[in-house]
Parts: sequence; C-alpha cells; structure tokens
Amino acid sequence: MSRRDRPTERFDVGLQHERTALAWERTAISTMVAGVFLARYAAEASHPGWAVIGLLQVAGGGAVLVWAGWHYDELHGPLRRGAPVVHPSAARFVGLSTVLFSGVAFALALADVLADLGT
Amino acid sequence: MERRRPQPASVVRRRLVPEDPRRVGDEPDYRFTLANERTFLAWIRTALALAAGGLGAVSLLRDELAGAEALGIALLALSFLTAASAYRRWALAETSMRLRRPLPPSRLPALMAVGTALVALAAATLFVVDQL
Repeated sequence: MSRRDRPTERFDVGLQHERTALAWERTAISTMVAGVFLARYAAEASHPGWAVIGLLQVAGGGAVLVWAGWHYDELHGPLRRGAPVVHPSAARFVGLSTVLFSGVAFALALADVLADLGT
Repeated sequence: MERRRPQPASVVRRRLVPEDPRRVGDEPDYRFTLANERTFLAWIRTALALAAGGLGAVSLLRDELAGAEALGIALLALSFLTAASAYRRWALAETSMRLRRPLPPSRLPALMAVGTALVALAAATLFVVDQL
C-alpha cells in the first residue's frame, strides 16, 4: 500500500483490525519464547535432538510476527471493500504448531520423569 | 451466496479437525470474524503460557521441590488439551456465525479454571509440606 492509498477516513470503529493484529503479534512473541523454553529444556535434558522442535518454533513465531505486521497493512484494502477477512490457513498453522510443541514438551517431560522413577 | 449445510464427514475427523468454515453460510460482520480470531489466539497464548510454566516446573524446580515434576506434567497436559481444542473451537464458532446459529457451548473454560486451580492448590500444598 503506497502512502497515497492510506485511509483518510475512519472506517474501523473500535479498531478491531488493529487489536487483532496486536493479538497475532503477542501470540507470535509468546510462541518464540515458548520455543526457547523447549529448546533449552530439551538441550539440558537427555534429548538434544528435540531442541530442533523448539528452534523451529522460534523460527515459525518469527515468521508469524513478520506476517502479522505486513498483513495488517495489506488487510486495509479488503476491509474497506467489505471483502472476507478470515484467514484459516494462518490459524491452522499456529494451531498445529502449538499442538506439536506442547505434545513434544509433554512427551519429553513424561519420559524424563519415568526415567527418574526407573533409576 | 447460496447457503449450504456442512457435508457429513467421519465423526473422528470432524471432531479433531472441523472442515473449513468458509464452505458454508455467509460472511458474518468482519468484527465478529476478527473477535473470534482474537479469542482463538488468546487460547493459543494460554496453551503456550501453560507449557512454559510446565517446562519451568520440570526443569527449574526439579531439585528444589519434591513433586514439582508431577505439577509440570499436569500443566503440560493442560497445555496440550488447550492447544488441541483451540482450532476446533475457532472453526465451530466461525461456522455457527456463518450459519446464523447460536455459538456452540464449550467445556474448555471450566476445565481450564478447575485444572489451573487444582495445580495451584497442589503447588501450595507441596510448598507447605516442603517447609515443614
């Protein structure tokens, strides 16, 4: 969107669009932090290979963060035309990666605890 | 746009990954779509926070507090449940809005409240026992 196309009138009462963009960005940052936690935990425990999942999580969170900032600008057009604003693909990506992340974290911690009990 | 009912899919698949909401009904007010999206993201952040807490309990408190590992496992299990149901909840709410139906009920908030309260209670008990 060039500078000339910037909105000149108020069209989004309540700033829903901006609040949603900020929610995406908060989620992306939380994803990156959680990824660092998992990478650190996996590297310190006896499964350094699984740290890759945490690092992928950090990279994915960074990608979502960049996408959210870029998409915020881009969404002005469809919003002003009254076009659909829903994006299930992004929701699916974030949803599935969070399921993968928490599943791996749960399995690693459980394996550790069971190994502790065994010794 | 012609309104279509959701196509029947296998029960398991429909429960885990509901179909794309855009296939049915009409586009709702964009504010509702965005509010639904923000709610989904809030659930995802809740799952991430629970996982961070769980990993913290398992790794940092492991040698400090007896039973901390069980607390961590409980938090990680809650996190997994939350993450696994967040997308489904979003898709069901979106579909309901598009078909102008009431939003589906969810047990997730109650489960989350009870689960978090139990973990907090267990943590407090462990801490008191540890200090004795």
